[in-house]
Amino acid sequence: MRLTTQHPAIVVDDIHRSFGKVKANNGISLSVEPGQVVGLLGHNGAGKTTLVSQIVGLLKPDSGRIHVAGVDAVADPARARRQVSVQSQSQAPVEGLTPRGAIEISAKLRGGRSEYVEQAVEALADELEIRPWLDRRALPEGAGLSGGIRRLTSFAMSVVAPTPVLVLDEPTNDVDAHRRRLLWSAVRRRADEGAGVLLVTHNVAEIDQIVDKLVILEKGTVIAQGTIDELRGPSDLVRLTYSGGDVDGKKPFLVEKVHHSAGRTALTLRMEQLEAATTWAIAQRAAGRLESFSVSPMTLEDVYLDLTANKDTGAKGLANV
Amino acid sequence: MSNATAVIVERPRDGAVFVALLRLYLAKAGVQIPLIVSVQVLLAVGMIVGFGFLIPDIATDEATFLTTGVPTTLLLMVGLVFVPQEIVKRRTDGTMTYLRSLPVPRWMLLMGDLLVWLVVALPGVAIAIAVGSLYFDLSLSISWGLLIGVSFVIALMATAVGYAMAVSLPASQVVLAAQVLVFVILLFSPIAFPADRLPGWFQSVHDWLPFRPAADLMRASLTEGSDFQVDQLLVLAVWAVVGLALSLAALARKK
Repeated sequence: MRLTTQHPAIVVDDIHRSFGKVKANNGISLSVEPGQVVGLLGHNGAGKTTLVSQIVGLLKPDSGRIHVAGVDAVADPARARRQVSVQSQSQAPVEGLTPRGAIEISAKLRGGRSEYVEQAVEALADELEIRPWLDRRALPEGAGLSGGIRRLTSFAMSVVAPTPVLVLDEPTNDVDAHRRRLLWSAVRRRADEGAGVLLVTHNVAEIDQIVDKLVILEKGTVIAQGTIDELRGPSDLVRLTYSGGDVDGKKPFLVEKVHHSAGRTALTLRMEQLEAATTWAIAQRAAGRLESFSVSPMTLEDVYLDLTANKDTGAKGLANV
Repeated sequence: MSNATAVIVERPRDGAVFVALLRLYLAKAGVQIPLIVSVQVLLAVGMIVGFGFLIPDIATDEATFLTTGVPTTLLLMVGLVFVPQEIVKRRTDGTMTYLRSLPVPRWMLLMGDLLVWLVVALPGVAIAIAVGSLYFDLSLSISWGLLIGVSFVIALMATAVGYAMAVSLPASQVVLAAQVLVFVILLFSPIAFPADRLPGWFQSVHDWLPFRPAADLMRASLTEGSDFQVDQLLVLAVWAVVGLALSLAALARKK
């Protein structure tokens, strides 16, 4: 059975919320449709967690409208909570429980019946490959179970009883690379089964395979939103990255954008400039002026960093650079 | 997974949800329960033996007074000191956010906690009576019905007030308030000593605080000489109702 409803999974309409003088959310609007995974990106303090708290009805907006699966989350938070399952950024309360116990309890708190719950826990144990730890008790102060297993347990707790809306706040913190992939696939699967997923993460590099749409927040406002292709702009953009050396200054080719970070320089170029650029880079490397270089297509992380570094490009993404 | 989706019910049965919630609470408190019971034993022994040092050659009347005060002290300590510290830990480690994000009625979140903490607190009464009777070789005349009723009311009142404190005040102040309450309960409340040893104005303050009424009611259930007074029960009831109302309001409130 699919969970699709005629309503959008999440509608956030012009949400304002301040803490004292700080405008944490300053007119945010976004929507998530059933079957979609929408990535919510933004630097620390961009207003992501404030927005999530309002969507799950724990925080009241100063103004604006929030609907989850057709239910007004501001006026009727109790009904809204039945539509939304959330994995919050802090660890879920697994202390004193085994992952099996914690996941079972979560399912039953949402009305799961015993015969279903048992089967669902087994399925999740395989899906996330946490079976070896399934019956190991989490003890106080991080003993018994590692942070990664606790995080995966907390993900399992939030998905074990399917809801039309799923909000995940940094679900992969502490999780190893292999299980991060399993988790991303699990997230995608929930959307394919009909849930609308809002995914808050800093892990930009890993989510481009599973998100349908991105919303980028900065200082409480949406600075860009759209599909990855829309945000990426013209598909003939590539990136030349190099490290070391002293090659700043005029280049014998056209550069769209320059981004420096930690001793590395990334140049955004149009495809027709690539030949001149690589010829240049090979010569610089031969002359010992740079250590190494690479050419790559624009990744989601490149797009994100470009957008947040140059807010004046606005909501049109890279299309106008 | 998808065929199993249908098994999730739109409006779950309250009973099944409550049992699941109790399992969660008990698992979390379970780690602490042996510790809390040990602390109760230590406190009981400490008060009975320790106050015995303060008053050499203690007479039977004084020993009885002291012994019948200790159950009240333990119940108040669990409700007003242990409960707020545990709840505030829940606020800081994210458990409270998780619980509040669940589609579980707010009254149920509170009720589950009250039940678990009553189970943790009530053995303290037995511990205190046992330690006092053995050490001083007393034979108390216990009215069992009254003892059970009074213990329940005191534990409920203390837990409700402690809970209200923990969810209404800023986290840092909760810990401080709980620590101050240790001294208020142990040293500045006429629980293990008679009220007439306090200055007059302080006695009238204690007419309205829950400590002396709780102690007097408990004593009435353990000795023949003191009477059960309805107005004292009323004071406790008012504190309990205020505590419950504040707790519920804080759980339901959106910041």
